[in-house]
Amino acid sequence: MNLATTEVKRAKLRFGLLTGAVALLVFLTLLLTTLSGALIGALVGALEGLKTDGLAYSDTARDNIAASRLPVDTVDAVAAVSGVAAAAGIGTLTTAAEVNGEAIDIQVFGVDSTGPGAPSGLTDGRLPENANEAAVDGGGVAIGDVIVLDPSGVELTVVGLLRGAQFNAIPTAYSDLATFEDIVTLSFPGLPFVPINAVAFDIAEGAQASEVIAAIESSVPGVRAYTRDDAVALIPGIDSITQSFGILVGLTFIIGIVVIGFFFLILTVQKLKSFTLLRAIGTTTGRLAITVSLQIAFVVILASIIAVGLVLLAVQGLNTGIPVTLEPITIVATVLAVLVFSLIAGLLSIRRIVRIDPASAVGAR
Amino acid sequence: MTASETPDPVAQATDSAAEGTGPAPAVDAAAHPDALLQVRDVTKVYGSGHTAVTALAEATLAVEKGEFVALLGPSGSGKTTLISIIGGLLAPTSGSVTIGDTDVASLSRKQLTRFRAERVGFVFQSANLVPFLTARENLLYVAGLVGMTKSDSRARADQLLDELGLTDRARNLPEQLSGGERQRVAIGRALMNDPDLVLVDEPTAALDTALGRQVVQLLRREIKDRGKTGIMVTHDLRMVEYTDRVFEILDGHLTHVESPSALGH
Ligand SMILES: Nc1ncnc2c1ncn2[C@@H]1O[C@H](COP(=O)(O)OP(=O)(O)O)[C@@H](O)[C@H]1O
Ligand SMILES: [Mg+2]
Repeated sequence: MNLATTEVKRAKLRFGLLTGAVALLVFLTLLLTTLSGALIGALVGALEGLKTDGLAYSDTARDNIAASRLPVDTVDAVAAVSGVAAAAGIGTLTTAAEVNGEAIDIQVFGVDSTGPGAPSGLTDGRLPENANEAAVDGGGVAIGDVIVLDPSGVELTVVGLLRGAQFNAIPTAYSDLATFEDIVTLSFPGLPFVPINAVAFDIAEGAQASEVIAAIESSVPGVRAYTRDDAVALIPGIDSITQSFGILVGLTFIIGIVVIGFFFLILTVQKLKSFTLLRAIGTTTGRLAITVSLQIAFVVILASIIAVGLVLLAVQGLNTGIPVTLEPITIVATVLAVLVFSLIAGLLSIRRIVRIDPASAVGAR
Repeated sequence: MTASETPDPVAQATDSAAEGTGPAPAVDAAAHPDALLQVRDVTKVYGSGHTAVTALAEATLAVEKGEFVALLGPSGSGKTTLISIIGGLLAPTSGSVTIGDTDVASLSRKQLTRFRAERVGFVFQSANLVPFLTARENLLYVAGLVGMTKSDSRARADQLLDELGLTDRARNLPEQLSGGERQRVAIGRALMNDPDLVLVDEPTAALDTALGRQVVQLLRREIKDRGKTGIMVTHDLRMVEYTDRVFEILDGHLTHVESPSALGH
């Protein structure tokens, strides 16, 4: 005769409603975590996904790749620094485009597919090998589609599909550097020379990243160098965006936990008469505490299963415009956190149980 | 004794407590040195200072193993307080309670919980059953507290329910039972752990006379058949005829021990 499960069986509606409410709270937390992760990924995914150890920008760029302008020969200058294994240029710009009859904004990267700075996250097809080919993340394109850039008129044929490679949360295309040069020249006629935005470099085996970066900055004039992770962290605004989302997710989580704690406190207070009786006839407080904890665990686990199902549906059904993937690690971490903190919130109920005076079960008072 | 002979049982209980002829319980206790239950000089004061209420004053009594006794007194006389102390629910302000070898007043909070689970069967004045458990489950729950095996506890619960005429109601929730049925389930619950001492607080308060008699008769039969020791609290003189001895209490003082027949005639 298990008190916890028997009560749930007898009060299906009450526990059903409770489970539903908890499921919505877990759902909200999971969805916010997933969406904010996806949005941050879409903002910085391109830099994060570049296969390179480090990036060099012009020292006037204020850590912003889009504001950085470097002459093409910087690539050779960086490659010549001792401790640098290889270097390649990266160019990028935002431009209008038309694909499948639809006008979109697109971020174009010119990269060396075989050198440092090549994109990662290929899910289908291949990286560009020839002029006017592109690997793309987003925009609803398929392999074989042609993207017509505006105003340059350059046509890019999609040869590969990428994931987690967006920049600025818009569709992002990776072509070779020569094609990138064409796009810039045709977009801005009369430009004296076509700059690149950054130099990607790999660090030679055995060399210290910090020393190599210092060496680049001292021997190549007008350049600032970063490890890739530093470059990502320094993207303007990314700090405050990450923080804002952190607060949003954290608050949702905390409110959810507090609500769950109060739910169970209400259930406990409603049952005080029974609990007092059970204490009077010789039930230990520990046994009652376990009963409440079991019910919390049961409700939270069931609610989490429902919530994960809802999030899966939502991720498929919501058109967010950015690629959203549900990471198993996010789900497991969120559900575990909800479970652990719900049990801690359950201490509110257990504290109330500990305070029961079994003597108050006697008499009619 | 019938109801018509005792038109006001409460008044009469008070009268007989004041004018009883039996010995004082303390004197009687001295004659039962080996009794299972020994209550010695138990005083209970609720609150302190201005608001202090002496609910029980130096109560002394002895109950032999196998006896079924009544504690008779008007409302507010300290009956519930006394059996709460005997059953380990309430600590006395002073005095001692021993059941067999156990000195109840010396037990820790934890030991008291165990003592109540293993050695005492309570039937409370109200709110006796867990509302979301069936009659049978209310009994089985107790078995879980004392670590009875599943098959033993089922057999015992079913037998008790049968003896109490509740076999048909075993799967009903308390809200689906009548007042008398609920009291009978509570009696079964109190006997489920095979206690040394059964403590029953006003079992007939919510029942009409006929039902009350039926419940008390059943209670007596169960206690006697199983060789248990029972104390029944009541303010209803009509119910004492089923008991072996009657302790009278008034304003926190145990006054007399009587035989039920002496009270009735
Ligand atoms: N928890 C308590 N706090 C203060 N006074 C109490 C408490 N319980 C009982 N009393 C008082 O103690 C006296 C005896 O109460 P009780 O034992 O319940 O009497 P009975 O069961 O005979 O009606 C009464 O005057 C009652 O008001
Ligand atoms: Mg009482």
